[in-house]
Amino acid sequence: MTQLVIDRLSAAYGATPVLQDVDLTVERGEIVSVIGPSGSGKSTLLRVLVGLLLPVAGTVTVAGHKVDYRSRRDLRAVRDRIAIVFQQYNLFQNMTALRNVTIAPTVVKRRAPAEVTAEAETLLAKVGLADKTKSYPDQLSGGQQQRVAIARALALKPEVLLLDEVTSALDPELVGEVLDTIRLLAREGMTMLIVSHEMGFVREVADRVLFMADGRVVEVGRPKQIFDEPQAARTRDFVSRILRH
Amino acid sequence: MAYTLQFGQVTPYLWYMAGGAWIALQLAGIAFLFGWAIGLVFAAVSEYGRGPLRWAVRGYVIFILNTPLLVQIFFIYFALPDVGILLGSYEAVAIGMALNASAYLTEIQRAGFRSLRRQELDAAETIGFSRVQTIRYVVLPHIVKVLFPPLSNQYIILTMTTSIAAIFGVEELTGRAYNINAETFRSLEIFSIAALYYVVLTFVASTVLYWIGHYFFRVQGKVF
Repeated sequence: MTQLVIDRLSAAYGATPVLQDVDLTVERGEIVSVIGPSGSGKSTLLRVLVGLLLPVAGTVTVAGHKVDYRSRRDLRAVRDRIAIVFQQYNLFQNMTALRNVTIAPTVVKRRAPAEVTAEAETLLAKVGLADKTKSYPDQLSGGQQQRVAIARALALKPEVLLLDEVTSALDPELVGEVLDTIRLLAREGMTMLIVSHEMGFVREVADRVLFMADGRVVEVGRPKQIFDEPQAARTRDFVSRILRH
Repeated sequence: MAYTLQFGQVTPYLWYMAGGAWIALQLAGIAFLFGWAIGLVFAAVSEYGRGPLRWAVRGYVIFILNTPLLVQIFFIYFALPDVGILLGSYEAVAIGMALNASAYLTEIQRAGFRSLRRQELDAAETIGFSRVQTIRYVVLPHIVKVLFPPLSNQYIILTMTTSIAAIFGVEELTGRAYNINAETFRSLEIFSIAALYYVVLTFVASTVLYWIGHYFFRVQGKVF
């Protein structure tokens, strides 16, 4: 079943186009990885999908419903279905790990606090932070904060999870614990759009890889195809530079 | 040094001076509360406003910050009556201090708005917070935490600035100490005690503010 259809999507920061005619269809349970040089529009694509940046053209269809990003109701519906995890974790600094996870279900969805708290504790245990529920973000390592951020995103029970370079701000020794968490979600069949520079990881978990440059999709294919037999010159160039070190 | 300390002559006035300390506390409280409220609005206008309103606020703040408090109160107390606005000395000092504080508190609170982190606002938006929910759960707690220490400092400074009221005949702590001095000429004893009262006022305030900050807003730091 098709979860997400992106059709000729374009976006701009002021007069500068940052996304141009991006097409992508994501099936339910599929993991699509977005790679490409900095400034290629990978993060922008995710930001447009969750409504942080208005598209200037094109359409996004989520679970069969075409999204009008100017409509509050549509925005709410989209954010119900699509959750995002950011590079800088973006946790609420004034809340404990547990509160970061429970706040959206209780405040936005008005669900019963006791039930939400129990779920949040389960989620934090799942990302390996059962003993950190009462810690504040500034008392946690980057990897731990990022895992709280993933738990916070999952608390909304999204159909699609967007991961925006979630390991790029981490010290190398902390990358593994976050990738393990994502592997766990992959095994559970979570539909994910993963922007990442961890090429080994992308090759391992992604069903398909989307290579972007200058705001456009250059090439889409199986990881094996993109990494081993890239068709476009730009992909070949990028992959050879990445894989050399 | 042939001076003999004689606190005995001063002790009858201790309560009288304590009353002065109470008035000082009031003045500082009034100046802070009004200064804070005006400063909050002006900080918001400075950061998010535009056009003539913003320029008016910026002009006001820059003007106040670059003129002495004493001159400002002289203006309110002596010059305003010329245009028909007659104020008592207590009122003139309270208004002058509040206006002066408002400019400082505008600049302090502006820094609070600036320290808001784009990332937390993005997160708030994507988990579906409304504007009001974002302000309630993200913006305000952050601003209060960031601003608590500088606002506390400003309050302490205001406590000591209240002594300026003595010039206008307001019988607060310094004014009363001045009066007793004129009667007894026990300057060393009187002004030492006055200083001690100020220390008590600011010490108590610092300690209370520290605990409030520590327990309610997770402000890290030490009182002394």
